Amino acid sequence: MARKENIQDLAVAEILPAEKTKEDLRKALNEIKEKPDVVGYILRNSTSAAIDLKDPSKLIDYAILSSSALETGGELAEIFELGKIKNVVIEGGTVNVLSTSIDENKVSIFLEKTANYEKILRNLLSL
Amino acid sequence: MENDIYSFALKETLNEIRNICPDVKNTFIFRENGEIVAEDKDIEEKTITQVLNSFNGVLEKAESIGNINKVMVECTKGRVEISHINEDFYLVTVTSGKADVKYVSTVTHVLVPTVLKILEKIHPTPLNNQEEPTVTIEEEEIKENQGQPEIPASDELTSRLIVEHLGGLLAPSDTVRIDEETISKWENLCGEKIETVIVEAFNGKTVTCKVKPIKDSKYKGKGMIQVPKAIQRTLEIGKGELVKVKPSIK
Repeated sequence: MARKENIQDLAVAEILPAEKTKEDLRKALNEIKEKPDVVGYILRNSTSAAIDLKDPSKLIDYAILSSSALETGGELAEIFELGKIKNVVIEGGTVNVLSTSIDENKVSIFLEKTANYEKILRNLLSL
Repeated sequence: MENDIYSFALKETLNEIRNICPDVKNTFIFRENGEIVAEDKDIEEKTITQVLNSFNGVLEKAESIGNINKVMVECTKGRVEISHINEDFYLVTVTSGKADVKYVSTVTHVLVPTVLKILEKIHPTPLNNQEEPTVTIEEEEIKENQGQPEIPASDELTSRLIVEHLGGLLAPSDTVRIDEETISKWENLCGEKIETVIVEAFNGKTVTCKVKPIKDSKYKGKGMIQVPKAIQRTLEIGKGELVKVKPSIK
């Protein structure tokens, strides 16, 4: 377990290149989205957004939730003085959501309950 | 009295968790309606209120994913976990960056639900105080014979509710709206019709105003209070903030 955490910490602190562009992220997310237990993703920054969901009818609900997840995460981190957010995971009754910020890009990946979000996060950060 | 014992048992459980896992910085339990059930000895009520406000922001948008079982916020210096543990109970655990997350999770997710279950088995009422009290006819007759019903403790009557705007041309500026079940619960406890409530903001300002049940179904059963702008201004509060509400008893 300790080893797994170390890998994650390393991924956030060192492997992740600060200059990773939105296009790189989009490519990575498209690869991740091909996995059968990935429902879709939302990638946004201050100027644009890319949304790819298997069920487009959920678009608005998921976009609002994605925004709230990171906002709530930021508020909780501030309340308890926990430093910068690495990621926020919401386990829902039917779908899990993994949200993270990479530079100015905000990413949310929507996953089936069976998906391993730790693995998906490592994939995203190491691409 | 029984409520005190339950609260004491849960508080002790949370404090013991911190003794077993020193990397647990804070922990508390709350209900979906915002009621704080128990908290560790070091956390301030103001902090809990901030967490509840923040969590409410994501909770009300999570219907599309089948509501929330767990929220985990991983940060550079620690982690916050909010878990749906039992019926409408949520457990908040804040750990430092050094914490063995799996160990903490195992301890909290075994200990707290077990204590809650035991407490419910011993006496279900204090943990299910949203339900209307079951009073048999014989008991009612005894109460009538005893004359005036006992006025319940102030804590028992106080609900913590989240503010939502109440607008519209026909909305009176001196009336707030809350769940009908809450009003009924108060009426049962106090033995009188509740027409006015005292709303207290966390800055200490209070307002006594009329109360009516919530009409809009999307705000029902969510621990909300619809407050007109005029009352919000008086209390210096806004949408999403937590207030204490209790009936104004004659």
